[in-house]
Amino acid sequence: MPNPILSIKNLNVEYITQSDPNHAVKNVSFDIQKGEVFGLVGESGSGKSTVVQSILRTLPPPAIITGGQILLNGVDILQMSDADVQKFRWRQISIVMQSALNALNPVLSIRQQISDVLFIHKGLNKKEADARVRELFDLIDINHDRLDSFPHELSGGMRQRIVLAIALALMPPFIIMDEPTTALDVIVEREILFKVLELRKELGFTILFITHDLNLLLEFAERIGVMLQGDLIEVNTASVIGQGGEHEYTKKLIGSLPSATGPRRHDLIPLPDKKDQEPEPLLELRDLCKSFNLSGWINPKKLLAVNDVSFTINKSEIVSLVGESGSGKSTVARLIARLIKPTSGSIILNGKNIFESEPRKASLAYRRKVQMVFQDPFGSLNSVHTVYHHLERPIKRHKLMDESKIYQYIIDMLEAVDLSPGIVFADKFPHEMSGGERQRVAIARALSLKPELIIADEPTSMLDVSIRLDILRILANLRNQNNVAILFITHDLASARYLADRIIVLQNGKQVEEGLSEELTGNPQHHYTKQLIAAASPGWLKKNLENL
Amino acid sequence: MATRKNDSILFRWIKGIIHNKKALSGSLLVLSFILIAAIGPYITVDPNAFLDTPLSPPSFSHWFGTTGQGQDVLAQTISGARQTLIVGFATGFFVVLIGALIGGISGFYGGKVDDVLSMIINIFLVMPGLPLMVILASWLPPGPLTLTGVLVITGWAWNARVIRSQMMALRDRDFVSAAIVSGERNIRIILIEIMPRMLSLLASSFIGASIYAIGAQVGLEFLGLGDVSTITWGTNLYWASNDLALLTGSWWTFVPTGICIAFVSFGLTLINFGIDEVTNPRLISERNWRKYLPKGKGNDGITPVIKTHA
Repeated sequence: MPNPILSIKNLNVEYITQSDPNHAVKNVSFDIQKGEVFGLVGESGSGKSTVVQSILRTLPPPAIITGGQILLNGVDILQMSDADVQKFRWRQISIVMQSALNALNPVLSIRQQISDVLFIHKGLNKKEADARVRELFDLIDINHDRLDSFPHELSGGMRQRIVLAIALALMPPFIIMDEPTTALDVIVEREILFKVLELRKELGFTILFITHDLNLLLEFAERIGVMLQGDLIEVNTASVIGQGGEHEYTKKLIGSLPSATGPRRHDLIPLPDKKDQEPEPLLELRDLCKSFNLSGWINPKKLLAVNDVSFTINKSEIVSLVGESGSGKSTVARLIARLIKPTSGSIILNGKNIFESEPRKASLAYRRKVQMVFQDPFGSLNSVHTVYHHLERPIKRHKLMDESKIYQYIIDMLEAVDLSPGIVFADKFPHEMSGGERQRVAIARALSLKPELIIADEPTSMLDVSIRLDILRILANLRNQNNVAILFITHDLASARYLADRIIVLQNGKQVEEGLSEELTGNPQHHYTKQLIAAASPGWLKKNLENL
Repeated sequence: MATRKNDSILFRWIKGIIHNKKALSGSLLVLSFILIAAIGPYITVDPNAFLDTPLSPPSFSHWFGTTGQGQDVLAQTISGARQTLIVGFATGFFVVLIGALIGGISGFYGGKVDDVLSMIINIFLVMPGLPLMVILASWLPPGPLTLTGVLVITGWAWNARVIRSQMMALRDRDFVSAAIVSGERNIRIILIEIMPRMLSLLASSFIGASIYAIGAQVGLEFLGLGDVSTITWGTNLYWASNDLALLTGSWWTFVPTGICIAFVSFGLTLINFGIDEVTNPRLISERNWRKYLPKGKGNDGITPVIKTHA
């Protein structure tokens, strides 16, 4: 093996807590060779970000590095004096963080922010710095008229490029990327990654790429390390990992990935028994529009979040609404759940226009028929109440059954979403459960009223990859067993394809395409759908890289 | 119906407070004053009776000396606690109640309701508190009810404002939307779902308002705007000043009362710090973390290395 640029040996990190210290990174060792792209993958809490922040020594309290070595070109970062740490940061290793909006200062222009780095580390004067900023702008393909923009005036993709430019400002030989594209839409993500790899080819820096998305890493990383609960359980080349790796957990990660194209795997999600019944419409949206008032007191601007959306959901059908952030898909969900009022248009439930019969507030009968599961299971359950409270309230409010039967019913509901034994889970508080368990409680709550329609707004996007499939499976089973219709809202075309019967694609509040799942993913018509599918298919980056 | 374990938020809190040194010592301090206020009048001599030579210094028969009227200072200090604490805590309670009601409704409903209620809150905020307090206190019949009323009227608006903004932040959370979707009534959402989430804010508001009320009340009474015939810590100071305690050097007539006021406020402040730590465990973690580090380390944003693993 040649000399590694970075070599981590037996790294240990602990977080001091009120009780025993939490051992977040346990004896992690790996090398990164000069010029390679090393990927570190793991779920939330696996310690991957802790490793990265130890390299820069930027872990906030209450963290303490309790052992090991981090050798950068043979020099141990952990033995450096504080002054030396300040010097090596950014000159030799820089970092691109996850949320560009947080990494950038909202009150400074882009030019000032990049220049700041140059003033401090290189001692350039204003003119020299300005020339360098322009060079960097060329590098990341952003027009020079954006120099004096402020972060909020730029799109998410542009902001992430600016953060990249700041990381490149001193031309460090080593760049760490900590989930740099997680907050971005797939198409933008693809552009950014392409840019990064293009620059690497030109400038030859080494990349340590952190992500929870193994699919993404398989596209471009040369070697991949897999972390699980503080342990580095496997380091292997991307091709070995792609075929399932050696560790069981890696196999599970690889096995739980639905894909947007290619042959459908039938073992992932159960399909309903084929029924030849005529579809019976349950809920119909007609020309639904919603606009929000934006800033401007004297001359208010309006944002048309949902623009003439019309579609039908049939009884016991799963329909998926696919779109990127800002496409208006969550607004549609909130309109149907009647959390907000539409600007115009109508919602027809079981043949009745609900805005005629109950214009002001949704009736209890409507609430009972239409339930919703929210995106963030950490936010949709109230931390001060038990699981039992969350499930009991809707039943009592709707007087669904006798007081004496409620307890048994709740236990049954919990076990229906694979939370068993239900008796144990009933007494738990949200903070005592994992994200997946919480989301199941949220599903059980929606289900407990025996609704006809469940709106699931990105129910898996906040969860770890390995449990996403479980949630999708539960939703699929609900439909098969309880005949409930589901409106599944997602940005992930692959899971929509696997779960839904029909897919509707939204872009900027407008419906651009609608079709049966397999037909739409197999033969997309609209160019936006095509782009989405291309970005979600394996091998997309490789194809482009070959052209470099 | 199976048994349900009692691990409600209140229970967790009480556990946290018992385990927190600041909160525990603060609570003990305040509780001991409440105890003195409750049983004091039954164990002391008559605080109104003329017992000895006026302004005699502390002695065995009168531990804290006597006042300018020849009354026992110890007895006066102890009996003064009762009304002072009752007015203080009652004010704290009503300030939080009115603040939660108006701020909560204003923040939850938004729109026109918020416009009207916010305007009322703002009007009370811009009214000059101290002059209003003095005018009201001198115009209304003196007594504990008047004092409480005056302090609540001049003190509730700030609290309502804080609770309103907290309510606005919480009402857009998913757990509130989820409750709406399940058909829950607004009043239930406010009281059962949102208010418990604000418990730390409500508790610290209550304590803050109580400290303010004790101070303001003593101030008003010292100016002679209370009922000077009753015995409170404020009137004790009023009489001490009336009897020219400073001029004659009879420090014992005001020092015990002053110390009591300081200690009650100190105890309440400790509880407030404690609540902060109980509801925000990060504060404790960071303090524990510092214990591991050499002195003066940990302020430069560089993760410390302390090798305990081979």
